[in-house]
Amino acid sequence: MKKVILATTIGLALMVTAGCSNKSVIRYGDAAAVETVDINFGSTDLQKVAAEMTDSMLLSPVVGTLTENKRPIVFVERIKNKTSEHIDTESITDSISTKLLRSGKFRFVDMARVESVREQLDFQQNSGMVDPSKAMQFGRQVGAEYMLYGNLSSIVKSNKDQEDVYYKFTMRLMDLESGLVEWADETEIRKTKGKQRVSW
Amino acid sequence: MKLQQVMVTALVASTMLLAGCTIAPVTSGTGAEKLVQGDDFKKHLQVDNAELGKKLHISEVKSRKTNGLLEINLALTSSYKKSQQLQYHFKWFDKDGFVLEANKAPWKPLELHGFQTATVKGLAPSVAVESFSVYVREVPEKYYKF
Repeated sequence: MKKVILATTIGLALMVTAGCSNKSVIRYGDAAAVETVDINFGSTDLQKVAAEMTDSMLLSPVVGTLTENKRPIVFVERIKNKTSEHIDTESITDSISTKLLRSGKFRFVDMARVESVREQLDFQQNSGMVDPSKAMQFGRQVGAEYMLYGNLSSIVKSNKDQEDVYYKFTMRLMDLESGLVEWADETEIRKTKGKQRVSW
Repeated sequence: MKLQQVMVTALVASTMLLAGCTIAPVTSGTGAEKLVQGDDFKKHLQVDNAELGKKLHISEVKSRKTNGLLEINLALTSSYKKSQQLQYHFKWFDKDGFVLEANKAPWKPLELHGFQTATVKGLAPSVAVESFSVYVREVPEKYYKF
């Protein structure tokens, strides 16, 4: 009898182990959840940076004055990546400009698509295929009044027990005519990687 | 070694393995639903996680309009001696109570130290926002919890 119990117990233990073995499971997760897979710049950092910068800009009194009776036209230059990682900073500026546009306070011109626009207008004007009275005209675009740009830098430190990454994201809004910086803000992120705490 | 000892060891080992493989689940938390500007948040307060409710409480929810956008201040007070790893988020509703930017408001991480009060800020994504919800949940760190 004792042997049977022993065998059952060991069998159960093995089953439990087997149940947790490397069986891959695919499921849809929450895109808004906090992600802590590793210490590198991740989706949560991107969301945090984009949200904080947009909030700070929309709350600032200067921007309140600028957007009081009109929607200023902004062009996004770029975020310089000064960190040691490869980070798609265009993704950060995309999130920020989308949020600002959706807030209804700003309008944007997209410098990344100038060539495509030129090609399309050229086709409408010169291909002979588009009704000249309905073709879009050259030289009617509206120029940007402000430029949005920034930097992303990091300090990485580690010892044998832990790793620490500090990100600093700075952003500025410049009046293109006067050259004055109308708004600036920075946000910080600290991430640490240490040993798992075990408690019973 | 006695048979009983072997059995006990096997059982403990199996329990450890089972616990060790568990992915820490995201727990429920505490929050306040559908508040409008000037509302008393205490009337809307709901605690879904009684264990967390003992360690953390929402001490203040304030709101005002800045540049036409609803701005929220959420104060969280810890009544626990150790640090707590938390996540919070806001939901936004228009005047008809329809959710805006659903699933786009990310959960934001927050570390609250022992007995500390922290104030976090939220800003409505659009001028159409009239009411909001706040929610705070705990990040479980104890993977070996039975």
